[in-house]
Amino acid sequence: MTLLNRGRLITLLGLASLAGVYVRALAFTPTERLQGAAQKIYYLHVPAAIWTETAMILVGVAGVFYLFLHDARLDRFAAASAEVGTVFATIVLTTGPIWGKPIWGTWWTWDARLTSMLLLFFLYVGYLLLRGAVADPELRARYSAVLGICGAALVPFIHFSVYFFPTLHPQPIILKPSAPSLPWSMLVTWLYALAAFTLLYIGFVVQRYALSLARDAAGGAERAHG
Amino acid sequence: MRELVTQAWIVARKDLVLEFRTRTALFSAVVFTALVLVVFNFGRDPTAVATIDLAPSILWVTFTFAAMLTLNRAFQLELENQALEGLLVAPLSRASLYWGKLLANLVFVAVVEAVGLPLFVLFFNVPVAHVLGPLVGVIALATVGFVAVGTLFSALLIRLRFAELMLPVLLLPFLIPPLVAAVQVTAHLLGGRPLSEVAGWLRLLAAYDVTFVSLATVLFRYTVDE
Amino acid sequence: MADVPLTGGYMVAAYVVTAVILLAYTLSLYLRTRRP
Repeated sequence: MTLLNRGRLITLLGLASLAGVYVRALAFTPTERLQGAAQKIYYLHVPAAIWTETAMILVGVAGVFYLFLHDARLDRFAAASAEVGTVFATIVLTTGPIWGKPIWGTWWTWDARLTSMLLLFFLYVGYLLLRGAVADPELRARYSAVLGICGAALVPFIHFSVYFFPTLHPQPIILKPSAPSLPWSMLVTWLYALAAFTLLYIGFVVQRYALSLARDAAGGAERAHG
Repeated sequence: MRELVTQAWIVARKDLVLEFRTRTALFSAVVFTALVLVVFNFGRDPTAVATIDLAPSILWVTFTFAAMLTLNRAFQLELENQALEGLLVAPLSRASLYWGKLLANLVFVAVVEAVGLPLFVLFFNVPVAHVLGPLVGVIALATVGFVAVGTLFSALLIRLRFAELMLPVLLLPFLIPPLVAAVQVTAHLLGGRPLSEVAGWLRLLAAYDVTFVSLATVLFRYTVDE
Repeated sequence: MADVPLTGGYMVAAYVVTAVILLAYTLSLYLRTRRP
């Protein structure tokens, strides 16, 4: 099976899993008492946020390896991860305010976590803009690596602002040092959602990578015959 | 190490001499700073919000704009005279080239800030004498952060079209963590709070500076070499 | 015991928006990777 078709298969699996999560979250998971049904946005918002950040870190890591190894595959992966990260960031930035409005009374607050997501989104946009502005593939890969590394290095600083800033945002209830304090049934739904988003990340990245590969090959063929 | 310092100073001195001879960029940055401060004054209602509440933000927005203006011209001179190639073949290490640029840019921005701060005090009637030392300290810390990243990025963009448009877009997410820290510390200082309360933010600023100056030093050669 | 707030509309909106974004991106990838 070609790389592209593998990517498509994984994506379909991811979408199917997500559909299952939708059913489970909406029909078979208890409604939280204080927030009502809107709390269920959590099952989509948090896994998407986790992958938005992870994707950025992976862009940076790929950048580091690229500068050492000059392997175009690393650059293609970085480009793919950045594009998929942007899509997930969009999900976080739309579901966040939709969740925030009924809970906090306002669409947007300069809450530390939402703000960090917004910064990540700008990082991604800047990265994609830079890639679009450089024609030469080698130069593009090198410049992207530099920006990607700086972007990944910025993520911890964005994080530390979260802990120092007084915030409306709910404090972590899963990813914290002590045991998760979510009821079991909700935790399972959340884990399924995380798995679905993981499959989607992988499927999307593989497809986007295959797209880069095809474009590079076509470009190479043109150069050979032209 | 000694070699690095000497070479860096050579690069910095060239830029500084050139700029102080013509003074055009410096003058426009200073005038712009004054203009921004004046506009802020007309934009507010002094009966509605106390100046002291807005003061930190006004100061830092002004300084950020000034830094951006200065950075935009960072490599303009080389580009205009095609002197970049000359710089690159000179027996200068890339690290010292970066440090030279960094130093020169820091001096420029410092000059603009040195004019901006007294103007700010004058226009907004903000008493700073009792906290001048720490205030200058936090201004220096944050400025190093801005200029470290900005110098790297302006080198990155030098060969691209729309470089002046792209610099703010790429730089924005990198400026926000140090900006938040700087505004917090400034607000505390102007409010007469002890510095110990903002130790965390100061540590963040210091860590940011160390991280990004080091990272930029290492990555600089990837932005200028063919 | 207080009533659970009726926030179902927001939940639906968020679930729909997420699905739309993901399906749109899937479609975008499909269209871009088709061999013409």
